[in-house]
Amino acid sequence: MHANWLPEIVKRSEIGPYMKEADFDRTFSRKVKELVQRYQLKYDPKLLVPTDEEMIDHLYRAAIDLFVDLGVYNQSTERRVIFTREEVEQAIAAAPSKLVLGTGKDAVVEQYRGVESNIPCRMHSGPTGTPCSENYHPLILQSCAQEPLVDCLGHGSIATYMGLSIIPGSPLEILAARSEAASAREAIRMAGRPGMHIEDNAVSLTCAGKMASINQESGLRVTDGLLISQMPEFKTNYDQLSRAAYLQSIGMHIVDLMTPLVGGLGGGAEGTAIVTVASHVLGVICYSASYHFMGHMHLLSSINTDRRGLWVQAMAGQALACNTHLVSVNDLYTASGLGTKELLWEVAAGAMVGAVCGLHQHGVGATAGNEKNHTSGLEARFQAEVAYAALGHGRAEINEWILECLSHYEQSLSNPNLGKPFPEVYNIDSLEPNEKWLDSYQQVRESLKAMKLDMDNAWRNKRHD
Amino acid sequence: MTEISEPLYSDLREALRQGLEEETRTATRQALETGADPLELLQNVLVPTLTEVGRQFQAFEVFLPELMAAGDAAKVATQILEAAIVASGRKSASSGTIVLGTVQSDIHDIGKNILGTLLSSHGFKVVDLGRDVAPSKFLEAAETEKADIVALSALMTTTRPATRNTINLFSEIGARSKYKIIVGGGCIDSSWAKEIGADGYAPDAAAAVDLCKSLLEKKAEK
Repeated sequence: MHANWLPEIVKRSEIGPYMKEADFDRTFSRKVKELVQRYQLKYDPKLLVPTDEEMIDHLYRAAIDLFVDLGVYNQSTERRVIFTREEVEQAIAAAPSKLVLGTGKDAVVEQYRGVESNIPCRMHSGPTGTPCSENYHPLILQSCAQEPLVDCLGHGSIATYMGLSIIPGSPLEILAARSEAASAREAIRMAGRPGMHIEDNAVSLTCAGKMASINQESGLRVTDGLLISQMPEFKTNYDQLSRAAYLQSIGMHIVDLMTPLVGGLGGGAEGTAIVTVASHVLGVICYSASYHFMGHMHLLSSINTDRRGLWVQAMAGQALACNTHLVSVNDLYTASGLGTKELLWEVAAGAMVGAVCGLHQHGVGATAGNEKNHTSGLEARFQAEVAYAALGHGRAEINEWILECLSHYEQSLSNPNLGKPFPEVYNIDSLEPNEKWLDSYQQVRESLKAMKLDMDNAWRNKRHD
Repeated sequence: MTEISEPLYSDLREALRQGLEEETRTATRQALETGADPLELLQNVLVPTLTEVGRQFQAFEVFLPELMAAGDAAKVATQILEAAIVASGRKSASSGTIVLGTVQSDIHDIGKNILGTLLSSHGFKVVDLGRDVAPSKFLEAAETEKADIVALSALMTTTRPATRNTINLFSEIGARSKYKIIVGGGCIDSSWAKEIGADGYAPDAAAAVDLCKSLLEKKAEK
């Protein structure tokens, strides 16, 4: 086994078993279905944070079986890249369990947490999968970076560059990537946190675009990260692997982005949980990831705060926490939009699951990432506060709280309240939330406090443990 | 048409629902051997059964693997029935030809694949160009396949402009009026469709099937 798997992956990509992609999809679906039955995995919509240790362990075993039996599909060569069980186990054992993200006084340690851990979650914030207009993008980033409980900044996508649509693969992508990276760097400087970890440059869709965002002075640095994507399900290609090659060679953090689709090729919640765990393995072996974004989402609505999405987060988080020491981060996508109480209830449910199931926090992709400028620092502050407040509580108690949260938003998921974009919920000069948005925040906060979540003091007590 | 026993229809419906290709093949052949009209089987058994599977999928009562399996089984039955229709000297039962693909630089294709499955099961001939499809490839396929509709899918805001570029190319070479062009995908909405001059927009795969039917009905009326 080598630390750098890429030469071996390229070799296996060229000589592995040939398979048409459509056939791989069908084989994949059949295999997942078989594993769900063999390991007797069962989704229960009333028990969203299961405590059945045997089922949690079975989920992990099913995921490893899936990975070893099928391998990874390389779209560039239309071949499966196969790994042995021993290779998989060694790679997982050698993966990092503790990371330093960022630099100087703003650096944070992000580490493996475990189930019902008392280790605080790190909070990643920014326009999660949400497009921003050029004029508001820097302000949105600063509103997130200036939040004391936010540890890392994700910088989302600008929708245009100098008013022009950004054509991937064109010079505009390179220019937009550099501009966006400069905005993120400037936002953390303005927030007084120049060493804060920036987790990606999301406007770039190609390897060249990602590389263009790296610039010691005014772009991303090696203490930052860039996402490498998996294509659903279990697929990579040479463009993605080339990003890994470059980032690994310069010592920059690699962030593994997966988006297993609930209702997609893995089937229902049980199958998607298997795929989610197995996708972490892909991120370990193929991308040498520093940490992972658990971005599963509903196939049709692209959210993960519905019951199935929460269950997948809970089960996959626990299966990983009980069997590995990987560092994984949830990736909340909500149906509701900025300024609404429903959004905060969705965030509360997702944050609690992550906190108790071994994950760190990332959010929020409001309106399922569809509406422009639907990100602000306030919902990130709220997510972090909930995550702190959930520490020290057991899974059964958390399950009850999540069901309570669901009662405040589940009915609206099919016709969500889309709220208002950033400039209508924040003062764009002072970068403070307006009274109405703050009022919604306070109201949901008070409701959570009434449920015995210590929203006021938990973060104060735990922040510097 | 000869009266066919209901159990034979039920067998075919069940095989389709469960996505069992061999059972579908057997049930289709048996129905034909017993004298069933292939066109009627197509219209009164295949389409309603697959429509119901599509409805269940939209309601999340079944998932993508079940939809794909039913679609694959329907393809098996359709091939047999099409051959029988042609052998009887009648015109193909195809509802129309649709060229489908995810636009340039966009590598997301699951939504597009779902639409392809549903369209096929509703009797359309689907020419799936895959993902990251250049505007010229859409044009070439539309011309070669004599398409009725060109369906463009885009998931990301960064790839959305490619839907406009594709439509513009059809206009530039004077081929725009020959085809109906529809758009869909995560980053598309009706206002964008209107802005770029698309002939239609659908928020999901089931709605896209209805849209295609409606566009072709209007075309037939003319």
